[in-house]
Amino acid sequence: METAVRIQEYDDPSYDPFGADDLNFGDMLDPYPEIAKWRAQAPVLEGDYRPKMGLQSATYPDRKMFTVVGSDEILTVLTDTDRFSNHGYKFNIGETFGQGSISVMDNPEHGRWRKIFQKIFLPQYVKLWGETIVDPVVHKLMDKFVGTGRADLIEQFTLLYPFEVIYQQLDLPESDVNTFQRLAIGQTDYMHIDKAQEASRKLGEYFTALVDERRRNPGDDLVSLLANTEVDGDYLPPLVLISFLRQLMNAAGDTTYRGTSVLLTALLENPDQLDAIRADRKLIPVAIEEALRWDGPVAVQLRMAKQDVVLGGLEIPAGSLLDVVAGAANRDPAIFPDPDRFDIFRERKAHFSFSRGPHICVGQHLARVEMTRALHAVLDNLPNLRFDPDRPRPEIRGTMMRVPKHLHVRFGD
Amino acid sequence: MPNIIVTTRDGAEREIAAETGLSLMEAIRDAGIDEMLALCGGCCSCATCHVKVDPAFAALLPTVSEDESDLLDSSEHRDAYSRLSCQIPLTAELDGLRIAIAPED
Repeated sequence: METAVRIQEYDDPSYDPFGADDLNFGDMLDPYPEIAKWRAQAPVLEGDYRPKMGLQSATYPDRKMFTVVGSDEILTVLTDTDRFSNHGYKFNIGETFGQGSISVMDNPEHGRWRKIFQKIFLPQYVKLWGETIVDPVVHKLMDKFVGTGRADLIEQFTLLYPFEVIYQQLDLPESDVNTFQRLAIGQTDYMHIDKAQEASRKLGEYFTALVDERRRNPGDDLVSLLANTEVDGDYLPPLVLISFLRQLMNAAGDTTYRGTSVLLTALLENPDQLDAIRADRKLIPVAIEEALRWDGPVAVQLRMAKQDVVLGGLEIPAGSLLDVVAGAANRDPAIFPDPDRFDIFRERKAHFSFSRGPHICVGQHLARVEMTRALHAVLDNLPNLRFDPDRPRPEIRGTMMRVPKHLHVRFGD
Repeated sequence: MPNIIVTTRDGAEREIAAETGLSLMEAIRDAGIDEMLALCGGCCSCATCHVKVDPAFAALLPTVSEDESDLLDSSEHRDAYSRLSCQIPLTAELDGLRIAIAPED
C-alpha cells in the first residue's frame, strides 16, 4: 500500500543540505563574551543578532530590528502576548514548514491547535515512548560501536538517535528515510531559499500522500494518530497538519541532537561531575537542565512588536522584529552566579532554553526523556568513558544553533 | 481586593492582597513568590503553576477543563485538591482563599 506514497529527491541530487549549517547558523566557538558585553551596555540593542555576530542578515521585509539581551526584557517579550507576536516567523519558518505551523501563530488561534499537539507530548505519554521507541533505537546504535573501545559520539550516536526516534514514531518506510532526512534538513537552509522551498514542497507532497494512506490504513504511529484526530467533527486543517509534520524533524530531531551532544561534551569536560552522576543516577535530571542552561541548542528566538512599544529604554515601532537571545538570559550572572561554569550542583533556576510563554517547547518532555535514555545508555555501556587522547577535543560551535561536530571518545580498558 | 493565604514549599504562610481580574497564578507571582515557575505565562500550556486549594473553597472555583486535567495528570503530586493556578480567575468571593504551592516535579 505504501507504494502510493513516493518521496522525491531534490532536482539536483548533488545538493548537500548538511553542508549549509555553518552558513545558516554560524560557527562561532564562544558567542557568550560578546553577548555579555552587549548586556553590560544595554538590555536592548538596535539591529539584528546575525550581523552583530558576523553572519549575513536574514532576508526579512524592510523593517527595524532589535536584539534583546536583558533577562527581564527577554521574559517580557516572550510572555507579553498583548504587545509581542510570533508572526515574525511567517517570514522564515512559515515559508518552509508552512504557515500552519503553530510557531507562526498567536493566541487564540495558536492555542486551538497547540492543545491537540500538547496532549500527545505530555510527560505521562512520552514516558512510554522512552521504553518502546527510544531505548531500542539507542541500544541498536550503541551496539554497533560498543565493542570497539572508541567512537565519535556525535557521528555515531547523537546525530542519529533523535531522527531514528522520529522515523519510528512516523513509521516511515526504511527506503524513504535517507531522502526524507535530506529534505527535512534542507527546509532550514534559508541561505539557499530555493532549496528550502523545494524541500518544503516535496515534503508537503510526501506527507499529504502519507496522511491519505494512514487514513485508509491507520496504524499506531504518530502520522495515523494526527491524520485521524478530529476537532469539532473535522480532521485537522491540512495546512496545520502538514506544517506540524514538516516541522517535527527540526523541532524534535535537530534540537535533541544538539542538546544531547552538548550534555555529553560538558560531562566529559567535567569528569568529577560525570563521576558524581555515575555514583548517583538521580542527578541525571539536574545534569540535563544544567546542560540546557549552559549551552542551549537554540540561542535566539524571533518575535515581532504588535504595537509601538518602549523596551529597555528604546522606542520600538510596531512591526519591528526582535531577536530574543535566550542564551543571554541563561548566562545572566544576576540569575546564575558564575554563569559560564557548567555546574550540575548549582542552585536550580528555570532556564530559557525551551523558551517561555505560550510557545514554550511542546516537545520539551520528550526531549528530556530522550536525553535521559541516551545518558543512561552511555553510563551503562561505556565504562571509563574519556576523551580520545589521539583526537582533537570537541568544540561546541554555532552562533544561532550550538553543537560540537565531533566527540571522539575511548571507553573500556 | 481578595486576600489570599499562600503556603510556600517551606511551609511558611503568607497573606497577599490580590486584585480581582487577575488569575491566582498572576497574583502569587506578582507578590514576589518566585518558587512557582509558571513558565508558559498562564495559558494552560505547562503544569508549573500547580497549587493545592483548601477544599472549603472548592465550590467557588470554575470546574477543571479537560486540558487542565491532562496537564495535572503529568504531575506526580496531583490529588483531589490540585489546580493550575493560571486557570483560577480571582473574584471578590475568593477573599480568604487558602492555597499551598505544590511540590516541584
